[in-house]
Amino acid sequence: MVGTLARLGLAAVWLASGLLKALDPAQTYVAVKAYDVLPTDGVSIVAGILPWFELALGVLLLLGVGTRAVAVLSAVLLLVFIAGVSQAWARGLNIDCGCFGGGGAVEPGQTQYVQEIVRDTGFLVLAAWLIVRPRTFGALENLIGRAAEPGPRHSKVG
Amino acid sequence: MGGADRRERQRRQEAAQARLRAAGITPKRGGLSGNALVLTIVAVVVIAAIVIGVTITLKNRSAAAAGPAATYPVSRSGVVVAAGQASAPVTVDVYEDYLCPYCERLETTYKDQITTALNAGQIKVNYHAVTILDTRTTPAGYSTRAANAALCAVDATIWPQYHAALYAAQPAEGSAGLTNDQLTKTGTDLGAPASFGQCVAANGNAAAITAATKAAEQTPALQTDGSFGTPTVTVNGTKVDLNNSNWLQGAIKK
Repeated sequence: MVGTLARLGLAAVWLASGLLKALDPAQTYVAVKAYDVLPTDGVSIVAGILPWFELALGVLLLLGVGTRAVAVLSAVLLLVFIAGVSQAWARGLNIDCGCFGGGGAVEPGQTQYVQEIVRDTGFLVLAAWLIVRPRTFGALENLIGRAAEPGPRHSKVG
Repeated sequence: MGGADRRERQRRQEAAQARLRAAGITPKRGGLSGNALVLTIVAVVVIAAIVIGVTITLKNRSAAAAGPAATYPVSRSGVVVAAGQASAPVTVDVYEDYLCPYCERLETTYKDQITTALNAGQIKVNYHAVTILDTRTTPAGYSTRAANAALCAVDATIWPQYHAALYAAQPAEGSAGLTNDQLTKTGTDLGAPASFGQCVAANGNAAAITAATKAAEQTPALQTDGSFGTPTVTVNGTKVDLNNSNWLQGAIKK
């Protein structure tokens, strides 16, 4: 039950954040650039791929296909986000994380690094739960697994 | 589900497997072929997403790289750069800050359209370099130094290329910005004479640029919701909505 909610919750997070980024590519570019980590070409590539990557994770989680693998990818991406926000904070940059659209520089004093890191950590907990317990209700992979499961017959040990 | 449930289920599974073993049947564990299928689907979907992202990015970039060359005249009127033929029927005014990332997006997105229209004499563009983001570099003042260098580039007759180069190399907000040496090298690489470096280092237009910025900030026609920001673009004096990607073509056809 918890796993199912974690899966659908994380799916909603990726679908929402991916969609908001995909709908406003210029804004996404500005948000990625504001972290001041990548060269110009790196910024355009990351800003180009990130929305679609997030949407892919969201769709796979929503359908429940490869939950554990997608949870691992989600956790890695969230750790990258947390690292990005942390380095901006540590270097004294004043940026919005652009996690759900928006992003770019903000006035000094308008940063929300603590909230952003706490929020990403919460999502990371959802991903961690799914890595440990990937079996959930209503997941498409349950059907795939069952269909591929051989009947009681002699078979080679995998 | 509780721990007791889980232990009970595990016990039942083990008992079932023990019965199968007793019957000489080796149960296949975990459904390997199903697992491989699932992982293949994950890989295909993730790779498809990456391909979509890369394709869109490369399409935008190749369009920008193969842009038309600027053949329009450029002159200076104070700190305003006047691009295009004076007889052009449509007047566009662009207010930009060389540190403003949305200005970079504007330049990257519309550079080719603007260059084509300028070359064809359909529009003339007055570029106002404003410096509202001077405090967003450490040390402060990159916006002003870049605006001054761009005015030097008009005198060096390399303005269209230099303008584009400043955005291509745009530093991030919060950084130190490009140094005067970097600003100079960008110009000399484009063929500017030695006097260009002196013009950049002297920063002689700074006061006039600051005054022009103040004037622009206080012009109600340039404000959005009561405040001035960059980029701001007007067509024949009326502010345009840059969310409308057709703003330029619409202005030309009118």
